[in-house]
This record gives sequence, structure tokens and C-alpha cells, in this order.
Amino acid sequence: MTDLTPMGALGTAGPAAARHGALTLTEDCAITLLSLALRDETSALADLPLPGPGAYARSGDLAAFWTGPGQWMVESRDAAAARAAIAALPGARMTEQSDGWVVIRICSEAGAPPLRALTEKLVNLPAETLAPGRATRCQLHHLNCLVTRPAETELCVMTLRSAALSLWHALEATARRLPAAAAT
Amino acid sequence: MLIPHPLLGPRDAQEFTYLGDAALMQRPDPQAGEAAFADYVFQRDNPAGVHRELWYHEYGDRSWLVVTRDTTTHEILGAKLARNVKMGLPE
Repeated sequence: MTDLTPMGALGTAGPAAARHGALTLTEDCAITLLSLALRDETSALADLPLPGPGAYARSGDLAAFWTGPGQWMVESRDAAAARAAIAALPGARMTEQSDGWVVIRICSEAGAPPLRALTEKLVNLPAETLAPGRATRCQLHHLNCLVTRPAETELCVMTLRSAALSLWHALEATARRLPAAAAT
Repeated sequence: MLIPHPLLGPRDAQEFTYLGDAALMQRPDPQAGEAAFADYVFQRDNPAGVHRELWYHEYGDRSWLVVTRDTTTHEILGAKLARNVKMGLPE
């Protein structure tokens, strides 16, 4: 039988990583993404209250962010548990999205300022739109991206998997060019 | 140009795709006849001034908006979810 070697969206054997100043970029290959659509007024997924427009919420291993009216993207490290939680909701529609996206996490060792400096360079949005607990879809270097801010020191950018290298280039080049004062 | 999205706040017009006159939402009854459909498909008002038009938030939440815009100044006077306009719901 053919011996196949799995590789990440960026063509590397393991998750790609890079470090520039206080910012560390890491490809997240282990996350499960499921899109969820609901027709009724269901307001919670297991213990997780479904967030409103522009918001991101986490409860235990499950996280979700709003992608449109009646629609969310659900994130989890445990694919089976996430699918079971969605399947338990009456009338819920779910679509497996994990392999459609490349997910890049950007962590800061110097608090929020370097992430704010990075987003100010990259997206045409007020910084508050990407405050901790917020999420949005936006345009970044002409790429259609989903951007979430799970924590003060963590920003997560997703785009179509086929554009993984373009996104990586945009993020890495911007992180590298941040002025030293903003990057530390 | 900023479009005041009813759910997400002010967003850059670059995130949107323009479709055209919001009158496109008033599709004639299937039995209305050829003349009504010819009007619906081909005839458009082209006002110099306030115009209601459909914009799609493609790089956003994928919602359709009815945006009121002054075509002489490009001032955006308001935006509502097209779904709510069609269903007669409040904003």
C-alpha cells in the first residue's frame, strides 16, 4: 500500500511556526471547525450560550462565533463531542469545515499592544471590533478571512485553505515589519 | 465610504458587493404577465438624489442590506437588513 505522509496546509510536515518580536505565529492543524445553522430561537449549544453579532464565546472545549444571522462557526479539539452537541439541538444544520480552512494563531508575549499594532496594519476595522471576545469576517490582503480574538494575548486568523501561503506571507511579513516599539 | 451595518456597525464599502435598485425585491406575481416581467427585468429608475439599493455584505456576515444613498453626494442615509424590510419587521 502507498505510504502517504500527511502535511499541513502550508506544505510543512508539522504545524508551521514563526516568531517575530513578541509575536508567535503557529498553524493550528488540530482544530475542528463545524458551521452551525439554526432556524429557531435556540440560544445555547450544550453549556455554551451562542454569541450575538460580532462575538466569540467559549465554554470548556467548545467555542463558537457568530458568522451571520442564525449562523455560527463552532470550534473544538474534540470533533466527536462537538458533533454530538450539535446533533442534540433540534433542527440544527451542521457542515464539517475543518479541511476547508487554514487556521493561524498569533500569540503575544507582551500583552495586547503588539496584536493591536498588527491588526491596525492588516484590517480596515476599528480595533474594538477585534477586542477579546470578538470575532468577525473581514478582508485582509484581498483574502476573505475569519478573525477571532479568543483572549487578550491571542488572535486567530482563518482563511480558505488554498490561500494558506498568501495568508502566512501577509501575517509574517506584517509581524516582521512592525516597529520594534510596537512589537515588544 | 462607510456603510452602517444594522448588526455589525460601520463597515468599509469595500466589504460589500452592489446589486442595484431595491425595487428588485418586489418581484411580480408569476401570473402578472409579460409586460410586468419586462418592466421588472429591464426598467430601472435612475434618480439623481436619494436611492434605495441592495448591497451584499460579502466580506462580512453575508447579509443583504437595503442601503439608502444619495447618488449626487454618495452620502449613506441608512441601512436595513433586506430580510427585515421584505418581511415588514422592525430593524
